[in-house]
Order: sequence, then structure tokens, then C-alpha cells
Amino acid sequence: MAEKTKKNRKTVKTGTVILYAFAIVWAFCTLFPVFITVLASFKSNNEIYLNLLSMPKEWLFSNYASANKTANALRTIGNSLFVACLTTIANTVVGILAAYILSRKSYGFLRYIYLFFMVGVMVPVHCTLVPINNIATALNAKNNLAFLVIVYVAFNMSQAIFLYVGYMDSIGREIDEAAIIDGCNDWNLLWRVLFPICKPILATEAIFIFIAAYSELVFSMILMTDDKYFTVSRAMLNFSSVHSKDIAPQFAFVVMSFIPMVIIYVIFHNQIEKGMLSGAIKG
Amino acid sequence: MASGKNKAVVKNKINPRDLTISILFLAPAIIICTVFIIYPVADTFFLSFRKWNGMYGVAKEFIGLENYIKIFKDKLFWNAMLNSLYFMIGGFVILMPLAFGLALLITSKIKGTSFFKTCYFLPVMLGTTAVALMWTFMLNPNYGLVHTIHNMTGDTSSILDVLNTKTLNVWVVVLVNEWMYAGYNMLIFAAGLVAIPQDVNEAAALDGATGWQRIRYVTIPLMKNSFKIFSILCITGCIKVFDIIWAMTRGGPNDVSSTPSIMLYTQAFSYKLFGRSSAYGVILLVLGVSLSILTNHFFREDKDLM
Repeated sequence: MAEKTKKNRKTVKTGTVILYAFAIVWAFCTLFPVFITVLASFKSNNEIYLNLLSMPKEWLFSNYASANKTANALRTIGNSLFVACLTTIANTVVGILAAYILSRKSYGFLRYIYLFFMVGVMVPVHCTLVPINNIATALNAKNNLAFLVIVYVAFNMSQAIFLYVGYMDSIGREIDEAAIIDGCNDWNLLWRVLFPICKPILATEAIFIFIAAYSELVFSMILMTDDKYFTVSRAMLNFSSVHSKDIAPQFAFVVMSFIPMVIIYVIFHNQIEKGMLSGAIKG
Repeated sequence: MASGKNKAVVKNKINPRDLTISILFLAPAIIICTVFIIYPVADTFFLSFRKWNGMYGVAKEFIGLENYIKIFKDKLFWNAMLNSLYFMIGGFVILMPLAFGLALLITSKIKGTSFFKTCYFLPVMLGTTAVALMWTFMLNPNYGLVHTIHNMTGDTSSILDVLNTKTLNVWVVVLVNEWMYAGYNMLIFAAGLVAIPQDVNEAAALDGATGWQRIRYVTIPLMKNSFKIFSILCITGCIKVFDIIWAMTRGGPNDVSSTPSIMLYTQAFSYKLFGRSSAYGVILLVLGVSLSILTNHFFREDKDLM
């Protein structure tokens, strides 16, 4: 008996050691390239050619200045942040308005509207590339950040409505009834009562919409032709193919591009984890 | 799903004011989706039977099924499909076990799980293009990691430019993709793991099930929904993959690392074959919708996973 417990404890121990080893190895794998990139962004081109892994001899902030000067880094990051913020706000507002009706009203036609949005979830966005390019040409909307925002809102809409309706359906209707008896109309019921309750799902989805809109590539490639309006992804790619010899500023640009995202992550990582662990992502 | 539940509610007489409000609330979402999803899909169908060079105002000549026939005869199309298949294989063979393992890890009792969770999820936050460029730098033959190691050890043999080598480059991108999304899928599996009642596991342990047996016979069957979500995201993601390949290889050399969505882009915006590109769009759409429905069917409620 004693021997058995001893043996058991031993297997538990090796199991734990394997878990720790795996945990540390994968943490190293995720952090290492990011760390090297940050280091390289402070080195000179020659140092990078000589040894990518070394510490910088002298911490050169000039790479950042040069990325900003040649590739307009700050401006493109600003463009992307602008697009991402507007997309997130518009998606949340328009999405929750529709979700409220789909979840709370009982008209027969709503079933078809719900189906309509579900079909939207399945459409691969790239098959709308050529027609959307045509719409932009016809409306003279190329190089228009607001147009890009509307396109992104459309792509995220179905998924958002699907999630919001699912969440609202799980909220008991007694709350609505109490609010209606107190004299609440639809508008107040949605914004004063249901909106605060839905905050967890809204916040989690908002973060994912924000990431998607901030780093989207294809549509910003076809809709933006003037480098003043490039989004950050587009500008980074352009920079790395045009100035392929000048590598240190490229590292600096990549680091600059993910600074806003890292800040958002540091602030919201608990929200993301909580939201996802409660099953915010659905197929 | 939503309106189904409402059926139970006693139907009120239709109140015109209430109906107006409902329509007003729904209108923005419906208009945006119609103009930017439904209309473009219809337009893609229309264009896929025509020949057009993309010039505004130039006639779109009807050519029947020619675009589709040319695509199905094109070796590059089948090559692109194969590349998408590599992404799918990578997803199920590498990403799924990795993400599931990480999920077990962060829900286990070891110390520092919140630190590990934060690290693992980080790559998704950085954005696809930034991740792709970062790895392109790491893999560069002139200054990348292998070059540095050669410099340190005095090795002077030439270094393989992996992103310029046929087939190998697709697999490299697949691996970078798994690196990026491991943390994201980890949280999908972790959501399934934390939803399993603790006493089920304890009961299995009391019955003498080892750790591995508990995972195989208790945990995995109870996590059907997580596997379903993973499978749908993975399968539909594979035919849609664009950004990460484009940023790392531009679909090259000579289009061999293209996926269907990259072919769609290059046909239209490099070769000015807008009709052909639209036919690619229709193929993507049919694949996307049928694969989502098939996967959903495979994970039906009444079927056991294994």
C-alpha cells in the first residue's frame, strides 16, 4: 500500500515536470521572436547582418525616426487606429440594435432575417473583392477611410449579431417585463437595461473586431492607392519590399505597429480570457 | 434559434409603432449586409460568366462557362487547392494537439498559468502582417537566425532561402500560422475544459482511471462542442487564408505558394482577368458554404465523436 502511494506520487511528479517543461518551452517559442525583433529595432544594419541575436552595442532610436520619415509610420498607424475604432463602435451599435429586435420581438419575419445574417457568416469575404472594388470606383470612394470602415463593419456584422443574439437569449425576460412596467420604452430598455448586462460579450467581440480591423490587409490593398491613406499592414509590406536593404528601420516599424495592440492587450487581457473561457467564440 | 423561442410567447396584436421601431432598429444592419455582402456575391456570380478587364465602362462580354473550364484545367488552381489542404492538415495534425495540450496546461494546477496564458495569446494580438514580417526577418538567409548561427560556428555553406523554395515555403507559412493561432485555439479548448464538471473527473479518478485514460475517455468526449468550433474555424479559415501567405511569399515564386484567395486577387489585380477572378470567388463561396454545412452535419448532436 505504502509502496503504491509512493509510486503514484512519483508519476504525478514526472507528469508535473513534463507540464512545466512544455509550458516553458512554448512560452520561450512565443516570446523569443518578439524579443529578437525588439532588440534588432535598436541595432544598426551592420550589427543585424553580423549577429541577429546580440544585444545592441548602442541603442539606436534613429531607426524609429527613419521608419517614421520614409514610411510615414505614425500616420499609417493613426489611420489604422482610426479605422479600427470607428469599425468597433459602429459594429457594436448597429449589431446590438439588430440583436435586440431579433432576440426580444416575436414577428414571424424575424426568423428569415436571422437566417439572412447566418448566411452572411458563411460567406468568405474574399469573394466580394472585385464587386467591392467596383462599388468603390463607381462611388469615387477609393482612398476614403470611411468607406473602408463600412466594408469592415459589413464583414463583422453577421458574426457579431449571431453572438449578441445568443447572449441576449440567455438573459431572462423578467428583467424586460419589470422595466416595461416601470415605463421603459424600447430605446431605454436596450441602452439602460440590456446594454450593461451584455457588456462582457460586447467587450470581447469588440476587442476581436478591433484586432481584425487594425491589421486587415486585402481590402486596404485594393481600396487605398494613395500612400497618405495606407493602413499600417499595407505600409509595412510596402516598406519592406521597397527598402529591402535598410532592415533595421523595418524591424522598428514592425515594433511600432504592434505597440498599440500590446497596450490594448495589457489593459484588456483579463477581459479577453474571461470572455473566451465563457465560450464567446462560436463556429 | 432566436425567434423559435419567441414563438412560445403569446402573440400580441401587431402594434404599428412597435413594428416601425423594430424595422428602424434592424435597418442599418440589413442595409450594410445587403450592399456589401449580398449584392457583391450576386455580382460575383454575374461576372463569373463574363470576360472583363476591369476598366470602368468597358463592356462585359458573356462567355458562358469558359472561366470555370479554364480554372479547372489550370494546374495552378489545383496547386492552390493543395496548398489550402496543407493548411487544413497542419491545422488538424499540429495546431489541434498543440492547442489542446496548451489548454490542458493552463487549466491544470501548475503555478504561473496566468503568465503562460498571457504569453501564449500574445501572437494573435500582434496582427497577421506584423507576425508574418517578423518571421520573414527570422528566416531571411542574409541576416536571419540560421545565418547568425552559421556566423557563430564559422559555417560558410550557403543557406536555403526557405520562403523561396516550392512546397517548403507553404509548410513554413503553415507553421507560422500555427505559432500565431495556438494561443487563440487554446482558449477555445480551455472554454470546453472549464465547463466540464469537476466531479466527473473525480469519479473517473476514483474508478482508477489514469490521467491519460481520463483525457481520452472522459474529457475529449465531453468537449465535442469545442472540437466542433475548432474544426469549423479551421476548415473555413483554410480556404480563406490570404494575409499571412501574401505577407511572407506574395504567393510566389511563380504563384506556387498561392491559395485560392490569392489566385482570386492576382487574377483580378495583376492580370486584369476580372471575370476569371469572379469565377474563383464563386468557387470559394461554394466551398465555404458547403464545408461549413458538412462540418456542422458531422458534429450533429446525436452523433458520438469517437
